[in-house]
Amino acid sequence: MFEILIKTLKTGTVTTKYPQKPDIAPLGFRGKPELIPEKCNFCGECVKACPAGVIWIDEENGEKRFTLSCCGCIFCGMCEEVCPCGAIKLTQEYELASKTKDDLLTIIRRKV
Amino acid sequence: MSEELIETIKKEFRSDILDEKVSNNEHYFTVNNNAAVHICDYLYHTLNFPLILIFAADERAKEIAKDGCFKIHYVFSCKSDLFIIIKIKVEEKSPGFPTLTHKIPAANWYEREIQDMFGLVPVGHPDPRRLIHFEDWPAGLFPLRKDFDIRTKPPRVKGEYIYRRVEGEGVYEIPVGPVHAGVIEPGHFRFSVAGEPILNLEIRHFYTHKGVEKLFESMSIDKAVFLAERISGDNSVAHSVAFCQAVEKIAGVDIPPRAKYIRTIILELERIYNHFGDIAGIATDVAYPFGAAHANKLKEQVMHLNEKVTGSRLLRGMNAIGGVRRDIGDKKEMILKELDSLQKNFRELMELLLSSPSVADRIETTGRISNEIAKGLHVVGPAGRASGIGGDTRRDHPYAGYPELEFKVPVRKAGDVNARTLVRADEVYESITLIQQALSRLPQGDIRTDVDQIPDGYALGYTEAPRGETLYWVHILNGRIERCKVRDPSFCNWLAIEYAVLDNIVPDFPIINKSLSLSYSGNDM
Repeated sequence: MFEILIKTLKTGTVTTKYPQKPDIAPLGFRGKPELIPEKCNFCGECVKACPAGVIWIDEENGEKRFTLSCCGCIFCGMCEEVCPCGAIKLTQEYELASKTKDDLLTIIRRKV
Repeated sequence: MSEELIETIKKEFRSDILDEKVSNNEHYFTVNNNAAVHICDYLYHTLNFPLILIFAADERAKEIAKDGCFKIHYVFSCKSDLFIIIKIKVEEKSPGFPTLTHKIPAANWYEREIQDMFGLVPVGHPDPRRLIHFEDWPAGLFPLRKDFDIRTKPPRVKGEYIYRRVEGEGVYEIPVGPVHAGVIEPGHFRFSVAGEPILNLEIRHFYTHKGVEKLFESMSIDKAVFLAERISGDNSVAHSVAFCQAVEKIAGVDIPPRAKYIRTIILELERIYNHFGDIAGIATDVAYPFGAAHANKLKEQVMHLNEKVTGSRLLRGMNAIGGVRRDIGDKKEMILKELDSLQKNFRELMELLLSSPSVADRIETTGRISNEIAKGLHVVGPAGRASGIGGDTRRDHPYAGYPELEFKVPVRKAGDVNARTLVRADEVYESITLIQQALSRLPQGDIRTDVDQIPDGYALGYTEAPRGETLYWVHILNGRIERCKVRDPSFCNWLAIEYAVLDNIVPDFPIINKSLSLSYSGNDM
């Protein structure tokens, strides 16, 4: 009993104040993939590489549309690895809960 | 040694061997169907080689094999890093094959799985009920046959599943599940009890069959690594490494030494956090929340470390065909420092846990699995090693950095919850020394080799996951996956729980279950 008390006192509090105090993921964390639209050249390498199939390119109203959905993303970082322009990066962002699937889409458009 | 062994087998069964093929450490013998049982029995009982896997493949298409038959493979793990694979052909028009379950109990589920997925019938099987398909699955539909379209939505039909029954005065049945309290996966447990002691337990699983093996066949090889990684969430490194090693073996690629060591380090980190989690679970189930809190704290510490080292708490996204995707050399000091703290705290925790009479009272002699049962069912991993089975893939079929590193394989004989807890605790210390060794000897150089063309061929990939031996048999044809058979350790170990609970009381079931650390997801793909 005494040993348990000592161990407990020695250990102290281990829980954190999250979410009141933000808990920032370490560098190199595989979080939300982010697009840098001006760097993207619509080559489609990431579309081919994505194992979850959550990146696609289509056309709408004479515009090329690039869509990345975090809904189904497995954060493997293949898109980042294959992108020749450095237009896609995994970030430290992990708080991705949302009320609609549309909130999880990142879309960029470009005139054909 | 290996040559002698092969000669002995060839001499013994000369007239029954139709064909033989050697690739790497795998020796394939195609044999006469009616001799298969006899040969397997000889390998198992006379030569004492465990049967580690049985699987089928649909090779009816002409481009795969000229004979147009299904193949069934019986894989035996032999000494000197050799696998002997006995292969039989089964024709579509006479889909029966002789059952092996009478001779080797471990064959039971494999044969029923083949029956459900391929429609090949193990003739004379003592329990020919369906295993994976439910009663509402139509007869004559076999998902792993090549002519079964993955998009098929079969109609539901009426059917009945008959449970084994224990009858007598005062015997009651307690059905538990498939939906359980807490966020765990589904499985049905049917206890027959007389008062508190359990007379019989029948488990029924496969409620969430996902068709993973079929899915592999439609995926490109590099993407399939991520599928392998997700088969059993907390054993993701073991699964992805096993898959990558199978493909690398087919490609004839030797990955860079640095990549091998990095794989070893993350495999051992995975073992440590799993074992901490299991010890926490056991402490919870024996109502020792102090121990559970501390073990969970240690587990969380390892997961934090995983995140810092690999970017993922579950160590995902690290493996690729040809090596690893991230170098972790610069994290060496941080890992070593963290391991020191973990080791010290874990030692203190285990001393307190094991000196507590209330814990000892619940875990000693509880849930015993005799050596005979464990051997018969081919119980693997810490559960097998706690019942006196000394097998460990890292030593018996060395891979990654293990051949160059020193470690002990802890084995105990009691076969109870206590022994399983102690084996895990000892393994944690071994894992820590393995990581320390691997980091201190981390070779310089690349972390990945380019693998462009993968030739046709098949090979076994294997790892020792925290739960035990994990196997992949991959067949590549024209650059795509023709067949990928996955065998998670839990597929072997689930049946052991039916024996472990006998003569125990119902309240001890959760502890026994936890101590076996069984995966639903890995078992039911």
